[in-house]
Amino acid sequence: METNPRPCIAVEGLTGCAGELLVILENLDKLLPFVRVASFPFAQSQNDDGPVDIAFVEGSVSQPHDLEKLKRIRAKARWLVAVGNCAVWGCVQGGACAKCKVTDMLEAVYGQHSEIQALESRPLDAYVNVDVKLSGCPIDKTQFLSVTASLLKDHLPYITHKPVCLECKLNENPCVLIEKNLPCLGPVTAAGCGALCPSLGAACYGCWGPSQAPQMDAMATILSEKGYEALEIMNRLKTFGAPEHLFERMNV
Amino acid sequence: MSDVEKKIIQIPEITRVEGHAAVEIDIEDGNVKEVRLDVFEGTRFFERIVLGHKYDELAHITSRVCAICSTGHVLAAIFAVERIFSFTPTPIETKLRELMHLGMIIESHATHVCALALPDFLKTPDLASFAGQHKEKFLLWTHLRNLGAEIQTAVGGRPFHPVNLHVSGLSKIPSTASLEGVKADLKRSLDEAISLAELVLSFAPPVERLTEPYFLALIPHDDKYGYFGETIQSSEGWQRSCQEYKEYLDEQVVTYSHAKRSLVKGKPVMVGSMARLALFGNRLTREALNVYQATPLFKGDSNSIWNNAAQAIEIIQAIERAIEIIDEVETLKNERTPEKKPLGIVAGRATGAVECPRGTLYHYYEIDENGVICAADMITPSAQNTARIELDIKEVVSQSTEKEMLGPHLETLVRAYDPCNTCATHMVAINWK
Repeated sequence: METNPRPCIAVEGLTGCAGELLVILENLDKLLPFVRVASFPFAQSQNDDGPVDIAFVEGSVSQPHDLEKLKRIRAKARWLVAVGNCAVWGCVQGGACAKCKVTDMLEAVYGQHSEIQALESRPLDAYVNVDVKLSGCPIDKTQFLSVTASLLKDHLPYITHKPVCLECKLNENPCVLIEKNLPCLGPVTAAGCGALCPSLGAACYGCWGPSQAPQMDAMATILSEKGYEALEIMNRLKTFGAPEHLFERMNV
Repeated sequence: MSDVEKKIIQIPEITRVEGHAAVEIDIEDGNVKEVRLDVFEGTRFFERIVLGHKYDELAHITSRVCAICSTGHVLAAIFAVERIFSFTPTPIETKLRELMHLGMIIESHATHVCALALPDFLKTPDLASFAGQHKEKFLLWTHLRNLGAEIQTAVGGRPFHPVNLHVSGLSKIPSTASLEGVKADLKRSLDEAISLAELVLSFAPPVERLTEPYFLALIPHDDKYGYFGETIQSSEGWQRSCQEYKEYLDEQVVTYSHAKRSLVKGKPVMVGSMARLALFGNRLTREALNVYQATPLFKGDSNSIWNNAAQAIEIIQAIERAIEIIDEVETLKNERTPEKKPLGIVAGRATGAVECPRGTLYHYYEIDENGVICAADMITPSAQNTARIELDIKEVVSQSTEKEMLGPHLETLVRAYDPCNTCATHMVAINWK
């Protein structure tokens, strides 16, 4: 037996695309010397439900089963890390729930008398206390490893939510919004991806979720000056789960 | 007959698969009455999510159906929209899309074969023992997975959820230097891929199978082995355009699962690597064909456990084909190409289909004159395979005398199909017909 047991981690998925599970699995070889993987049902058969130092949770809460699971994970974890846009903001599913009622979707999907239960897709912090929010769609592996390293040293990591424009300027890209009139959401989207889309000459579409204090009204004004219709602007801005209250000052 | 002995075998959660699924089997007097594969991944409503969005947003949204086959979901959507707009991208873009798709095939198959399926045969219940006791096999996975990720990053911008694939083409053509780097790594990996296939082929299936599967796969373009096509070939001999998929695939909602089931004329079908090899294995590239011809698959053994081997053979083929494509792209770069035609937005409806790692994926869209999505339907490979998995489980349990001991065997069997439950639950019932 080890005299000084290694810290335990759990990697769990709620409703999502399994992208964060994949990123974590693909980088696990770097963590294995330092942690014991107590639970990771996506990647191993033998899992235990005991207390863990860090629980990484992917996906949104989209059904009662997810909620029960999340509460169990919260109860056993010292640090709960929401990983990925689904867990932090609700992603495309949360975005769609803001537009139409989940009961209507359910009826359209499975018929009127379905026994299938669905909840409006919400991020983890709608239900439990979340210690660290690591957004991304998918998350950045370097950010994931540095967050984990911080937590293993008992430090809460510092994650910035500066807009994509900052990274885009550092890359010395021409502005695709101003110069190419593309509907780039970089000014209101959290950076971390390295300004991936504008660096390829495409518009940022907001997949990392909103930046810190995003100026949604200014963003909408610019897009309407560029000729985009109000409905389309709202559709684009809300696709990746930006919460409703960020749009209060807007009158498009 | 007062005391009929009733039993239920339950596997509450199948680990090492994408998404969440459980198996429940009812047994009465030693006979299997019913098998239920319950996919309890939360419902995703993707066909509803895309409505109201513009055609150029589709790729960003549909990739989120599933990380591991995001490139497939993006390309199926793009193919459908380009068909509606009667648009053809440049030859170089078509080649790069295929290269991107092969990157997904390599990454997905390597992850499934090595990280998810292999531990069953190596008897390693957790990651630490897999990585510790079988270091060289663990490294085989990381190398091949990295190769798939490298291709997708070079072409698509990141390992999954690509940002460089759009309706009308690519926003940036990868540089010669980056493609040459990829090519060097592809060449270095060919031997590893062959050794993976040989390893997987050394594990004999733990159980026999009784009925022959009903295979479906797209007929690949250009007489090559591939993943893009317009027409479905069945092992029963018939061919149909993928535009008519609603006429041959019958989708059903079941009460016990969030995933729907697809049948063909009431029969379960099997899609994926085994179907592609059975129907088009003679078109494989050189090394892949060599390995394939020495397998039980080539001799007609269709045990589902061999799906692991079939995927390993497809990794070899993908590596060989990707090297060819990079050479073809570099040749095309030196040729003068006519100016790209602008995209003409028109109203219409169409289906786009691609062969994903797990089988044929269909995306159907209706678009209005402003380019806004007004109806959508997606049929995933896992939804098509589900009925076949249930039939397989039924056969395995029926053959066994020690039914209680079956749990691990059944998990191995279900896992061999590489079911993707995150995908399967994206189905929404649109009342079709």
